[in-house]
Amino acid sequence: MTTLWLRVSLPFCRLPGGLLSTADKWRRVLVPGGKNMRTLGFSDLSFSDLADVPFRAGIHGTSLLYPDHIPTSPLQKALLAAGSAGMALYDPYRHDMVAVLGETTGFYTLKVLRDQMRRDPEGTQILQERPRISLATLDMDKLRSLPEGSFGREYLRFLDVNRVSPDTRVPTRFVDDEELAYVIQRYREVHDMLHTLLGMPTNILGEIVVKWFEAVQTGLPMCVLGALFGPVRLSARKLHVLVSELIPWAVHNGHRAPCVLNLYYERRWEQPLAALRKELGITAVPPCMQGLA
Amino acid sequence: MAAPRSYVLWSYCGRGWSRLVRTCGPRGLHSSLPAGSLGVRFLSQEKHATQTHFGFETVSEEEKGGKVYQVFESVAKKYDVMNDMMSLGIHRVWKDMLLWKMNPLPGTQLLDVAGGTGDIAFRFLNYIQAQHQRKQKRQLRAQQNLSWDEIAKKYQDEEDPLGGSHVMICDINREMLKVGQKKASDQGHKAGLTWVLGDAEELPFDDHKFDIYTIAFGIRNVTHIDQALQEAHRVLKPGGRFLCLEFSRVNNPLISRLYDLYSFQVIPVLGEVIAGDWKSYQYLVESIRKFPSQEEFKEMIEDAGFQKVTYESLTSGIVAIHSGFKL
Repeated sequence: MTTLWLRVSLPFCRLPGGLLSTADKWRRVLVPGGKNMRTLGFSDLSFSDLADVPFRAGIHGTSLLYPDHIPTSPLQKALLAAGSAGMALYDPYRHDMVAVLGETTGFYTLKVLRDQMRRDPEGTQILQERPRISLATLDMDKLRSLPEGSFGREYLRFLDVNRVSPDTRVPTRFVDDEELAYVIQRYREVHDMLHTLLGMPTNILGEIVVKWFEAVQTGLPMCVLGALFGPVRLSARKLHVLVSELIPWAVHNGHRAPCVLNLYYERRWEQPLAALRKELGITAVPPCMQGLA
Repeated sequence: MAAPRSYVLWSYCGRGWSRLVRTCGPRGLHSSLPAGSLGVRFLSQEKHATQTHFGFETVSEEEKGGKVYQVFESVAKKYDVMNDMMSLGIHRVWKDMLLWKMNPLPGTQLLDVAGGTGDIAFRFLNYIQAQHQRKQKRQLRAQQNLSWDEIAKKYQDEEDPLGGSHVMICDINREMLKVGQKKASDQGHKAGLTWVLGDAEELPFDDHKFDIYTIAFGIRNVTHIDQALQEAHRVLKPGGRFLCLEFSRVNNPLISRLYDLYSFQVIPVLGEVIAGDWKSYQYLVESIRKFPSQEEFKEMIEDAGFQKVTYESLTSGIVAIHSGFKL
């Protein structure tokens, strides 16, 4: 009875890929990789052999894929996804919960995104060079000195007016692939750029519009969920504006524009914002939101 | 024997002879070596003794204290919420059972170590107050004719509702104490409480001061558990009682599997979602696995000098209450 239950539940509690947990004498006997583990009969092992594995998460192993990586089993990912979705709805100020939701639900979509980036020359460069956007890597004085109307200057204005900083993003922790972890980190860091490109402020309406745009562009489940459930807390009037003008505009632009993750933003600071918008096919900001970003 | 011993004493200058003798004994992390070469034993133990466990990680002993401090500093604000979420409220029953076992009478001096957010201390005060009220009711029923003097005193509320009892709450972590103090003022506990910042391995109290010493869910975070037990022995009065409520080994294999599953799969997720802190709760469940079993801990308590040491496992061994007396 117990062995039957174990056979059913263990696959959901195992850590991803070939990651070994610290008390792993059971798994060391097998060739790392999924198939072998499943063919091992549980009757071969006594309770003491199973004593340490596999419920113990191996976050202390030397097999972490990147510095902040926390390996999680499928069950943990499912619980995290559900919990973070609930918490994000309950307390919209928990941005880390939105991030966790993105990481736990986006694995396959991130693969698609990464392949899209690989097909584009600028995207490949980004994947190779792995630029990061933070206060340490941005040259604020240089951005401030750029002419009005340039992308860099407008981005800085956006940061100042909305009082946000590029340093408030939590690092990726739950993605089990090093390159995909970078892709989602890049997506998060580019979010502010999208605000600037679309001309949206950081109030709830602006965030929802950007989420719709991102949902169409990236297809990440977190964006889709955010786009669908974000408006639940809006007043009727705002909801009307959203549905009648803003969402169609965002969806239309999302379809027209090429993948926004393929832009090497750090090389385009001097490019005029209007020209960049034309390149991406982003039409004029709807009248109700003009002048707010 | 005298020469190697004095060499060892000499290098341990300020530490205290008794503690030196005890740390040189074969216990815990130290390996047992032939008795003749005490000097050699000291040198090789130095290398072994500096490594200890922090959950499933291996860290040096100096690091462990700092890391544990950081864990509790970050969880302090959500500590009570998380306790309720993780144990589904059962921790309240466990703490109540500790108080029932303790059965304190008015006039007891309690020292609650690692009692940061004050759960045991507040329960103690409530228990004593309830006892006191029951005693008064019994007296009233028995003495139907009270003198006017006694009646006047009752109306003026001059008597101490705690009957002279006092609880000293000691914790190494300032944040936990702050949360506890706020809880105390929210719940209206004003008298009979003192908050002290102190280390369980080196308590800032004199010898023979307390009637009861409790440590609830704190002793597994202490770097040197044997030192904490010795300090407990020191500060208790003769006749005093040591009580420890701590996570322990589950005796039933099926429940153990379920418990492992819940601990490692669900608790860190709860920690991340509710408190935004995965690693502290990972440390918590790992530190539970590293703590000795009921029997081993009982032997450690006996080694510290306590008599009549018993333990009671609760909830199939998920927690255990160990009790010992200083006679």
